[in-house]
Amino acid sequence: MRPRFVDADEAVTSVEPDSTLGVGGMQLTAAPMALVRALVRRRTRIGRLVTSPSASLQADLPIAAGLVDELVSPYVGFEHLGLAPAFRRAVEGGSLRVLEIDEGSLTHALHAGASGIPFVPCPPGIDLTDIPRVDPTLFRRVVDPFDGTERWAVPAIRPDTVFVAAAVADEHGNVAFDRFPFTDRTMALAARRLLVEVEEVVPAGSLADRPPGTTLPAFLVDAIVVAPGGCLPTEYPGRYGRDDETLRAYLAAAKTGDPDAVAPFLEEARR
Amino acid sequence: MTRWTTTELMACVIARDLVDGEVVVMGAVPALPMAACLLARATHAPNLDFIVGGSGTVSPAPDRLPASSCTGELAPAEVTLPLPDVVSLEGRGDAFDVFCAGGLQIDAHGNCNLVAVGDWERPKLRGPGTVGLPFLPNTKRSIIYTQSHTPRTFVERVDFVSGPGHPSGPDEARPYRKQGPSLVVTPLASFDFDETGRMRLRTVHPGVTVDEVLAATGFEPAPGPDPSTTPEPTEEELAILRDLDRDGVLRR
Repeated sequence: MRPRFVDADEAVTSVEPDSTLGVGGMQLTAAPMALVRALVRRRTRIGRLVTSPSASLQADLPIAAGLVDELVSPYVGFEHLGLAPAFRRAVEGGSLRVLEIDEGSLTHALHAGASGIPFVPCPPGIDLTDIPRVDPTLFRRVVDPFDGTERWAVPAIRPDTVFVAAAVADEHGNVAFDRFPFTDRTMALAARRLLVEVEEVVPAGSLADRPPGTTLPAFLVDAIVVAPGGCLPTEYPGRYGRDDETLRAYLAAAKTGDPDAVAPFLEEARR
Repeated sequence: MTRWTTTELMACVIARDLVDGEVVVMGAVPALPMAACLLARATHAPNLDFIVGGSGTVSPAPDRLPASSCTGELAPAEVTLPLPDVVSLEGRGDAFDVFCAGGLQIDAHGNCNLVAVGDWERPKLRGPGTVGLPFLPNTKRSIIYTQSHTPRTFVERVDFVSGPGHPSGPDEARPYRKQGPSLVVTPLASFDFDETGRMRLRTVHPGVTVDEVLAATGFEPAPGPDPSTTPEPTEEELAILRDLDRDGVLRR
């Protein structure tokens, strides 16, 4: 099957309310904001939001809109611009349940989800922290059948839907990332349904020379949204920079705690 | 007024601690540790390598110090690792030498907390999350840096361990290892750790008194030799830093 080319509002109609949604993009780069904004405009409730190892607006905006029940994320913040206001408020106020996880366990859990592996024992380090001890949903003890030692393990993560932002799609719906695929390919491979927003469409055949590891074949993609500037106000490397002015305006609006204050940030950004 | 800023001094303190040939990893908001690595490469450690956060870029030499760890401004890099490979190598435990880390709270044994101040379920302050800090013990040592040195950030025991430091009590079976935090750099001072793994005042920055440092520290540091004054940035160090830092990120 080849993906359908649709607009963002149509693409997100396939997201089931209260299901698990994975969102790609790292820190202030390549957040799939065209899809996230469309989902928040539709006011679809997200049962469990799974992010990449470090999220910013793609997590804080749906939380600000009051649409997220549970969060699986190693980091929600805005780097040099400060903490994530809606995330902070929701956790401190008890309205958002956080399933604590770290970058390593999350990445391995997504890889397991992508691979049909039911759970993964964690590499050392996590055992010396409080992360696995506060909630048994994502961390359980297992005995290594080879050497008998006890270790922490995390279950495979397979989001019902995943949103990622890539650079281009060809006319058949094959997708290519530019310089940094981050963990977005791993998350995409773990998806039950994969929605990809891209900056532009290129002729069929023109992705042939892209290195493997930076592409996804069309048969894994359910829908493609062509959204130039869709990641704004986050950056898409090589295409446009981060818009700190808009990000600062968002942070100020989200700090008020008024869901209406963030409404202007649900409109599509203009390049 | 000094010729240099406190952040520039902190970059020099970290740079001087780095050893030629080491591989350093760092996370979000990379300007300070990146400046330290580039300074070390330009002075005594030409074979140092460093990986900038989620970008996976190895030893990038950009025109200016970037604000974000995942920006396309991190170019040219010598090579770029896919992020899942960085995560794999952090778990493997023998690929990286130094982890540069920080926290909302840092405790007497070098534990870091990026998760929650107060009770985890209903925190007084929810932090961004731990990202890769559980991997701190998988490097040979870690360098902790922070722009906030107060009794609220420097505490006897963190409310939540998200980045492991040295073991601190009889209930922790892990024997003291040489691995773990080795240096802590703040706007007031630098610390190392004694043989029990407790933080010890090493130097106070020019213009700062020992009493001011102790008043800003929410625990009693381990006894040690009298702290010296942190050597000021040299003319050479400052010239290199300012050539790297064209936007003045370290001078704000």
